[in-house]
Amino acid sequence: MNKQLAAVVLFAAAALAQDPRQIVEEVQKRTRSQSQRYEGTLRVIDGRNRISEKRWRYERLGSFGDSKAVLRFTAPAEVKGVALLIHNHKERSSDQWMWTPALQRDRRIALQDRSTRFFGTDFSFEDLEERDASQYSFKLLGEETVNGAACWKIESRPVSTKTSQYTHSTLWIRKDIYVYVRIEGFKGSSLVRRIEYSGHEKVKNIWTARLLTVFDAGRNSRTELKLDRLEYDVTDLKQEDFTLQALRRG
Amino acid sequence: MVASRTAFLWMALAAESLRGQSFSQRGFLELRGAFYPQTAPGDSGRAVGEALLRWEPSLQLSPSWKLNAAFDARTDTHRQVERIWRADFQDRRRQRPAFSLRRASALWHKGPLTVEAGKQFIRWGKADILNPTDRFAPRDYLSVTDSDFLAVTGARITVEHGAETLDLVVTPRLTPSRAPLLNQRWVLIPETLRALGVEDAGSRFPGRAQYGVRWNRNANGYEYSFVFYDGFHHLPLIEGELGARVRLRRYHPRLRLYGGDAAVPTRLATLKGEAAWFTSSDRTADEYVLYVIQAERTWKEWVFAGGYAGEAVTSRRNPVAFAADRGFARAFVARAAYTIDPRRSFAVEAAVRQNGEGTWTRAEYSHQLSGHLRATASFTLIRGEPNDFLGQYRRNSHGMIALRYNF
Repeated sequence: MNKQLAAVVLFAAAALAQDPRQIVEEVQKRTRSQSQRYEGTLRVIDGRNRISEKRWRYERLGSFGDSKAVLRFTAPAEVKGVALLIHNHKERSSDQWMWTPALQRDRRIALQDRSTRFFGTDFSFEDLEERDASQYSFKLLGEETVNGAACWKIESRPVSTKTSQYTHSTLWIRKDIYVYVRIEGFKGSSLVRRIEYSGHEKVKNIWTARLLTVFDAGRNSRTELKLDRLEYDVTDLKQEDFTLQALRRG
Repeated sequence: MVASRTAFLWMALAAESLRGQSFSQRGFLELRGAFYPQTAPGDSGRAVGEALLRWEPSLQLSPSWKLNAAFDARTDTHRQVERIWRADFQDRRRQRPAFSLRRASALWHKGPLTVEAGKQFIRWGKADILNPTDRFAPRDYLSVTDSDFLAVTGARITVEHGAETLDLVVTPRLTPSRAPLLNQRWVLIPETLRALGVEDAGSRFPGRAQYGVRWNRNANGYEYSFVFYDGFHHLPLIEGELGARVRLRRYHPRLRLYGGDAAVPTRLATLKGEAAWFTSSDRTADEYVLYVIQAERTWKEWVFAGGYAGEAVTSRRNPVAFAADRGFARAFVARAAYTIDPRRSFAVEAAVRQNGEGTWTRAEYSHQLSGHLRATASFTLIRGEPNDFLGQYRRNSHGMIALRYNF
């Protein structure tokens, strides 16, 4: 009897797992945390293999659909203090503002400008906002092995209320631990950007990629983002740290 | 024995209070050379060299308290910088100080309330071309087309509630914009006056405080604000006194300003507008409206901004003035910037007076040579008629090279 029940549960789980939306929602569920903080080291490697380094500190409060994040450059000296405030929303694209200390001004990043590269990295402004499952439709394309790990290959398309530079994206999600290993963003049939997630580690029971590699197909350049001093459920973050005034306070 | 115990106790307390504090700093050393192909009537110099060391430390004393400071040490070859060994805090002197406390403020915040007191930078407005509502932002105009902001001394209280922000500012003393020096190329004195002999009689500063209020709303996808200011204009009017020589004195007229700004992203571009009505109880000061309408768009590695800065005089009293803000009005203004790669960028900006009597164009190339070092080269072309604010500087077209070491 127990064997039969287990078989039914496994069958049901397998059937559910074939629903691409449920797979993506499971990824979100497993990475959900009330807050996050890390120090990122970025290496921007251009098409001619010239390397420039930057560092930022990232803090997030809240989780998918209702989170706020601040990303502040800490090095090099030239960009130190430049910050980006992101307010993510469940039903629409995020609001973003950039603070430039040399000008003492904040500037709203308009939706049509989100495809621009973020401060000399290969991330676009859009790549820095959260990808909430509710803002996309999904289609299971099949299964593939990426770096030795079995993955689901899923196509996502933004819903009408979501403004995106990508007409569609392809997601590769590891079957064993439900994490992204690769995302490719397309405009029509052309690849715009590829993000590879690697070095997964379990931090506070959340599988997290410690290295992100973003490849900009148009410029043939890539940016590696290494996550150091990563923490989840940080207790000292408050709502007031995620406002325009907080950007100004530095 | 008691004294040593007390000292030990103080040291222990100090060490305890320093725990959790974070100190950060940044700064740069910049060497700059400007080269003028033409001499000017009041200035035969063709090359100006400048050196500036800026250090900006900040100390986070606790989650609520932060101290910010900035120190400048500078010198030049053209006497735009004083040759006096003293530190300046007030920014009221004709020349740039050799040593100055550029910023010194204490910032406290709790919940939605932020209070900053001391010498600080306050920037209002949303437009990029010209900011009529930016009333607490005097500038150093010793080189008119390469101006830099000066801080004001006062208190700023900001209350943030959801999408709305209320900003209250009080500055007990006016920080004036630094006007060009009489004996240099950015002041054009008519030949008849020059023959009589002209001397700078200094400034007459007002004694009263300045007040400003700004209410801003960041709505879903767009934002707008309203501004009220009561105080004095940081740009001077000029009065003359005829004696053995003509003595020119700067003074700052009363100013009451009502203004607002808005930014609305559309599918094609972000539209920005800013306007302010400048009124004055001073009988020698004009009353006028300054406004800016601009569109801004980012496309791939390009950033474009362009628009029109307008002026409507509501009461003309014909003062002699150094009105740099109005000088860039009644003009079409545009800027295009291109990021070549993470290390290199190029930008062109231009202002063309609507009557065609004055144009200003600057092209700038910037190259990051290493993690700390950046070189910038630019050329500014000024053309026009002598009776136009921009056109009068037509002999001041110049090239500039700057080398900056950031730390």
